[in-house]
Amino acid sequence: MKDGDPMADFEQPPLSPVRQPPQGGPSTVPQAPRGFARGLSGAAVLAALTLACAAAPLMADGSTIRRLDADPVAAALLDGRGSLSFALLAAVLGGLAGIVWALLAFLLGALRGDPARRRSIAAAERLAGLPLALLVPAAGGLFGGLWPLALVTAATAAPAVAVLAHAEISALTRAEFLNAARAAALPEPAVMRRHLVPNALRPLLAAATLALPRVLAAESFASLLGLGLPPTLGSWGASVGLAARLGDPLGLAPPALLLALALWSACAVADAAVAGSRKP
Amino acid sequence: MNLITARAAPLETDALTLMVEDHVLLDRATLQVERGEVLAVTGGAGAGKTALLGVLADQPLPGVDAAGRARVDGRRLLIAQGGQLAPRRPLALQVAEVVGHHLGIDLRSALRRMADGLDRMGVPAAARRFDLPPEQISQSLRWACLFAMAAAVGPAVLLADSPCAGLDPTVRLRLLHRLADWARAEGVALLLAGRPEDRVDGPADRVLRLRHGRLVPDSAVPPERSAPASPPVGHEMPGSALLRARTVGMAYPLSPGPKGEPRELTVLHGVDLDLRAGETVALLGETGSAKATLARALLCLPPPTAGSVAWMGRDMVPAAVPAASAAEADQAGLRRTRRDLQPLFPDPAASFDPSMTIAAQFAVALESLRPDIPASQRALRIAEALAAAGLPDGTAERWPAGLTAAEAARAGLARALLSGPRALVADEPAATLSAEERSGFLDTLRVVRDHHRLSLVVATEQFAEGLRDADRGIVLLAGHVVESAAAGILLTAPLHPYSRAMLAASRGERPALEGDAPSGLAQPAGCPLRRRCPLARDFCAQAMPPLEEVSPGHRVACHYWDAPEGGAADGA
Ligand code: SF4
Repeated sequence: MKDGDPMADFEQPPLSPVRQPPQGGPSTVPQAPRGFARGLSGAAVLAALTLACAAAPLMADGSTIRRLDADPVAAALLDGRGSLSFALLAAVLGGLAGIVWALLAFLLGALRGDPARRRSIAAAERLAGLPLALLVPAAGGLFGGLWPLALVTAATAAPAVAVLAHAEISALTRAEFLNAARAAALPEPAVMRRHLVPNALRPLLAAATLALPRVLAAESFASLLGLGLPPTLGSWGASVGLAARLGDPLGLAPPALLLALALWSACAVADAAVAGSRKP
Repeated sequence: MNLITARAAPLETDALTLMVEDHVLLDRATLQVERGEVLAVTGGAGAGKTALLGVLADQPLPGVDAAGRARVDGRRLLIAQGGQLAPRRPLALQVAEVVGHHLGIDLRSALRRMADGLDRMGVPAAARRFDLPPEQISQSLRWACLFAMAAAVGPAVLLADSPCAGLDPTVRLRLLHRLADWARAEGVALLLAGRPEDRVDGPADRVLRLRHGRLVPDSAVPPERSAPASPPVGHEMPGSALLRARTVGMAYPLSPGPKGEPRELTVLHGVDLDLRAGETVALLGETGSAKATLARALLCLPPPTAGSVAWMGRDMVPAAVPAASAAEADQAGLRRTRRDLQPLFPDPAASFDPSMTIAAQFAVALESLRPDIPASQRALRIAEALAAAGLPDGTAERWPAGLTAAEAARAGLARALLSGPRALVADEPAATLSAEERSGFLDTLRVVRDHHRLSLVVATEQFAEGLRDADRGIVLLAGHVVESAAAGILLTAPLHPYSRAMLAASRGERPALEGDAPSGLAQPAGCPLRRRCPLARDFCAQAMPPLEEVSPGHRVACHYWDAPEGGAADGA
């Protein structure tokens, strides 16, 4: 149909600027959720980074680690131990806090009526919109210790987790299969135990992964300013800050790159987890 | 005119074959659309309509190979599936872009042409909001704008893929007829492609059916147009009602008003309904009619906020209110009622718990509803229910995510049958299915109903289809019953203007209603239909017409139901 068609009159573009993907073609392959591949590679990168950082002491030759004369890559990997383990700790705390916040909102709603639930989540929404990460260097400057810093970092990530966890659970409470269970005369507690809770675990976990990139970024930012993790622990942010102050490009590149890589992969994992827990 | 008709048809294909890899989508199709002719191509999902239109518009879908000849003379336009406009851009800009691009004219003249087009699509001047982006205007207005844009460009050939899909039948048919009128008046070759249940064939001069890769003329009268099979006689046994709903109303709380006063939105206004043993009642209505709300209220999922729903004389509402920790006896009563009265959900796939296999959730339901059946018997019972719904044995072990839409619908039916119910309440049970699956599923539902002597309430927007094997129909509009009568009467001589429009739309004819349904938040005072009704007079704005009995068993809520249609424009 290409040859010699009198199609001179036809002009692009069509009437509807948006072209539709073909629908219901002969082969409908179930599609993986969007961003799945990216999430998978993010997880792989994160795992590789973690392994490399954990194995870093083996790479630094000799039993004693002199950080300043170690080669910059090994030093950056050593720093990763501090950054990543702190991020993991704060993310677990922040994720838990966010989930508990969301659950408390529902409890409040059940006890005091719906406006109470909406108010407590609106508070989380407002907090999540603020630049809470600024609190982390402030806390680092004020208290200094590891645990206060971890708690404050976790707290800065919690509102975002709470908002998402709340959205996921409220979508779930409207799910039709709960009505189907009610139509089978299951009493409300049984509906929750058998159908709501098993289906809530995945989206809640996904919401909690949101905390990881946030705490990693907040800690790096604080450490960059020199107000973050204690110097004994080592951190990418601190190394980048130090190298920048010393004007040492060779020392700056490895930690900065590793930090960027870790942030990207944490974001990819969180995005994919959130997208994957949604209903298509 | 003679000169024009003497020329060759603007759209012609000769032995056009479309292939996707080695699968033949369309086999040697030969079609021709003359100037001013309206051709409809109907086919289910995946039949190849979109691929055909893509090739005709010279925008073949990726992966589709074409052989044979397709010739289009003059300017052609494709209205793509879904009718999307670019989001977040004011309509005026998009109009100027598209019309200007095709005709090379400036914004003002483009908008003038667009306004002419909107006139032809029957969009009142007040509703023209060129400054809004498309996502802020109603779906029907968006379609009208697309059609008007096409009219403004003035192509020689217009191809429309599933036009107006998803709109209410009365609105859809009105727009399609308008588009066809325009095409005939302007001598445009118009090709409408769509699913058969969307009635794109209604305004067409000629209909081709796309089935199994063949384009065949749809000369045989399709079954849905033939006289309705009269409902099985003997169903109308006068006995007392199994399900008796009285002044059932539903209101949702809104955020408090400016002075903190509580506000609510009433979507269902005092509906009465009786369901007798073995009877089938169709609840007919479009978006916002509250037919689904009524169906759920009958099931007490959730219970209505006003009125009572009694199953065999026992009021379900108090026991079903979740907050009330009602007495144990009440719960047992509710359980017995639920055993007898089972739902079919509009989205069957979503009504299954994704974290359990079909068998596991059936077992939970069975354990709850029929504690009298020993655990050892449950598997047998589940297999029986699946077989009755037309599903193979292995379905029990599958996960809900793996079921197709048709299988999910049947699995929903199987679950409803588990407890041995006496009545089913179905809310658009086949809405997710394509034409063939749909008729297959409805057949199964009918067989099951007759075999188990079930009573049935079906809520649907398909007027003729819903009534075809119902005993009675109830037409709902904006939460009010506007007409209720025996199915035969509604199918042949409905009295309310809205019922007439729905009947016309379901036959593919032009419904005598103008404009769109008002939103639930901005209902006009008086009769909810009065802004669209051809019979409306001043008095209609003053009082909501009561539901009156006009003949035994036939009730109508209209002040002027006995006025001849079209002869009542004496408003002043
Ligand atoms: S009451 Fe008036 S507006 Fe309503 S349907 Fe009857 S004639 Fe039309």
